[in-house]
Amino acid sequence: MNTSKISYKKPLLETPFHERTSEHCYANDWYRWAGYKVAKEYSSTELEYTSMRNTAGVIDITPMHKYDIKGEDAKKFINKLITKDITNIQSNQVAYGIWCNEDGMVIDDGTIFCFNENHFRIFCAERNLNWFSDTATGFNASVEDISPSIAALAFQGPLSCKILNLLKVENIENLKPFHFNNYNIENHNVTISRTGFSGDLGYEIWCDPSQAIDVWDSLFKFNRDYKVLAAGMNALEMVRIEAGFIQPNVDFMSAEQALRPNRMRNPYELGLGWLVNLDKEYFTGKQALIRHKEKGPEKKLVGLDIEGDKPAVGSVLYDNSKKNQAKEIGIVTAAMWSPVLKSNIAIGFVSKEHYKLGSNVYAEIYHPEELDYRKIWAECKVVKKQFFNNPRRNETPAFT
Amino acid sequence: MKKFDVIIIGGGHNGLVASSYLSKKGKKVLVIEKNENVGGLAEYAESLNCISPIIKKELGINVNNINHSNNIISLEDNQNHTILSDKNGKLSFVQTNADENDQKKFLSIINNYKLFSKTLGAFMFQKPPRVKSGKRADLFQLISMGWKIRKLGKKNMRELLRVIGLNIADDLEDNLNSNNLMGLLSHEAVLGTNLGPRSPGSILTLLYKQAINDNIFNLNKIEVAEYINQLEDCCNKNTVEIIKSSEVKKILTQNNSVTGVQLTNGEIFESKYVMSNADPKTTYLNLLGAEILDTDFIRRTKNFRNKGNVAKLELALENEININNIDKKMNGKFIYAPGIKYIEHAFNANKYNKYSENPCLEFYVNQKTLSANVYYVPYLINTNHQENEIIERCVSVLSKFIPDMKIVKQKLITPNKMEEKFNIAGGHWHHGDLEIDQLLMMRPFYGSAQYSTPINGLYLCGAGTHPGGGLTGINGLNAAKKVIEDLK
Repeated sequence: MNTSKISYKKPLLETPFHERTSEHCYANDWYRWAGYKVAKEYSSTELEYTSMRNTAGVIDITPMHKYDIKGEDAKKFINKLITKDITNIQSNQVAYGIWCNEDGMVIDDGTIFCFNENHFRIFCAERNLNWFSDTATGFNASVEDISPSIAALAFQGPLSCKILNLLKVENIENLKPFHFNNYNIENHNVTISRTGFSGDLGYEIWCDPSQAIDVWDSLFKFNRDYKVLAAGMNALEMVRIEAGFIQPNVDFMSAEQALRPNRMRNPYELGLGWLVNLDKEYFTGKQALIRHKEKGPEKKLVGLDIEGDKPAVGSVLYDNSKKNQAKEIGIVTAAMWSPVLKSNIAIGFVSKEHYKLGSNVYAEIYHPEELDYRKIWAECKVVKKQFFNNPRRNETPAFT
Repeated sequence: MKKFDVIIIGGGHNGLVASSYLSKKGKKVLVIEKNENVGGLAEYAESLNCISPIIKKELGINVNNINHSNNIISLEDNQNHTILSDKNGKLSFVQTNADENDQKKFLSIINNYKLFSKTLGAFMFQKPPRVKSGKRADLFQLISMGWKIRKLGKKNMRELLRVIGLNIADDLEDNLNSNNLMGLLSHEAVLGTNLGPRSPGSILTLLYKQAINDNIFNLNKIEVAEYINQLEDCCNKNTVEIIKSSEVKKILTQNNSVTGVQLTNGEIFESKYVMSNADPKTTYLNLLGAEILDTDFIRRTKNFRNKGNVAKLELALENEININNIDKKMNGKFIYAPGIKYIEHAFNANKYNKYSENPCLEFYVNQKTLSANVYYVPYLINTNHQENEIIERCVSVLSKFIPDMKIVKQKLITPNKMEEKFNIAGGHWHHGDLEIDQLLMMRPFYGSAQYSTPINGLYLCGAGTHPGGGLTGINGLNAAKKVIEDLK
């Protein structure tokens, strides 16, 4: 990280796209992410969201942490780190995984790129160098934080493949979901992976910081017809809730950061049990996870379909339609009105008796109306977290 | 492939105690020792006398004290040495420069410390309780610990709680004037630790050592070689198999459980129970392998403080050794640590992995030979000790008191050499510092206390466990009891 660019007047680093993002950012509204400033909102969150759902949106995700794992034991290291078994992973494949501490509590999630048996790259939202380095003890594997050396963009939306096609990115439509390869965008070598958090067709583009501006400009080249927009963190938050992706320190506390032990969550509570392979010989947290699985989760992160149109942000959940008889049974961690689904959705923790799909719970929504709160007692149905999952997302060749 | 009920890695005295006990209970035991002789670090345990009476009783060991002297001689540059005599725990001054008031206060401080260490001593020989285990026995033990402290009475309890985290220099400077006396007590507090007299917690280490040894100055010595022989005999009588000159390469596991051990020559022995007399770091990081341990656990293993800083110096002189201003017949433990400042300066160098120009010494004289503990000689990573320089510095200190030193033979055993010979990571006497966060149920660290490990069937029985090093044998005994309990 180039710390010489930091001063007390400019305490945050600028990404290689800053020249462009600052032009687009009329709102001048910045979000602090891993020491960088990225736009919260460029001009209008709704428009940015709409671009991702209807054409394509570009998000600067450079602050993502990137770690290179190299060495003979790189694969063994990954298998010890994450709860899933990646023994059969192939080159150019991407795995989604979570890692837990010894108590089986989730620390973070990330995507793991396999270059070859001896070289992996992990992308994640939180800092993990300490954890990875300590995990590498005893393995012939080096862990290197290469975060500043790669500029990254998420290019998400139904027309993302079409636009890449127009940019003459050869064979991009045949890139399968959770795969990556090297491509060329207008004479710039980039790595493109078919990954993302929009629940729709989308790509992530990784390139050298020196080419960042050119790559950015290319994506906006056909804007006369397609209206690609730069999207900020607020719009990203909307699409990720619709897609049912969870975020550390928003939907759950990372076990490395939580101060109160009872705030940590295990994969079964987060609905990520499918990422845990207890048949694997060894990984950190296995013994604890065996116990957690046996016991079953006390509460679970679920999707909620809420009546009405007032977002249940920060709501407490209850078990009874009658307010005066109701008992607290959970809490909402993220909520929104979904424009594309035309429904009022939320993600939240619900206790054991109520997390079965189809059960009814009640949210007390505090809806601000001109300096006053209207309290709404809204019925919610427990549903799958994946509210929006367009078939386009998994089709190969991709929609063009 | 041979099968055993229990395999013990390392024939140090704790390993021998554990194997004797287990074989007495009818278990088929194998001990694997790297060196030609068993006993391990006990070879260097010149000034330790602390075999617990429990061991003597349980294993029928009978070693006599070689009561070669009752004197503690604190040397001073101006040759006005202080001589203390210890008659069955009762201290008195034979010769000193300190005034009467100081002498009185010195003895009263020692009495106070004795009282406190007795309170701690009650926990020394038991398996430390586990906090929050939900078991009644653990809870009862915790309550009894609290009760023992409360029973000191209001005034004494307050005093204990006041000094327990304090550094020894503060407490001594509050009460004494004589540098020599302050140096003497500070020496006992910091020897074998990674603390200086001004480091917080140095009183606790003194109390702890005193609790283990039941004596503040460790005077009564035992014939260590005889003790080890008896332990070996005890093993042989009970058909314990001891393989010497063989090194364990790996502890074999499957599915989080021990299956046996593999030697460096490839030979494999099978057992569902393995006890490691090695230190925690060696056991977990080398023998077991970090690959199968949780990352949090590896962090704690790596953070275990185990840097040794005492070297052993053995000198043989041409003539019989006479100390200036000391009667020839007067023998005992000689200490050169003439003041808090002197020790603290020696410690300063240690912080930066250097050995001080002016080392502190504790030594015994036997006619023409002299054996000394020298500190601080820090364990070094990536560099080597300038051994001749260290010896020179020691000799220049010694020559202040011994006229005409003509050295015939000299031998220095640095912490690095101890590490090499006995496979003790860090070359630490106690396998790891005896400090408040590495004691009792926290020893060696969370997840590994009470002699057990995260791996089923693997146990620790070395000095890295409660109650630490010092030839007590309690570590081995408690660990063996735990194995018997789990074997049922």
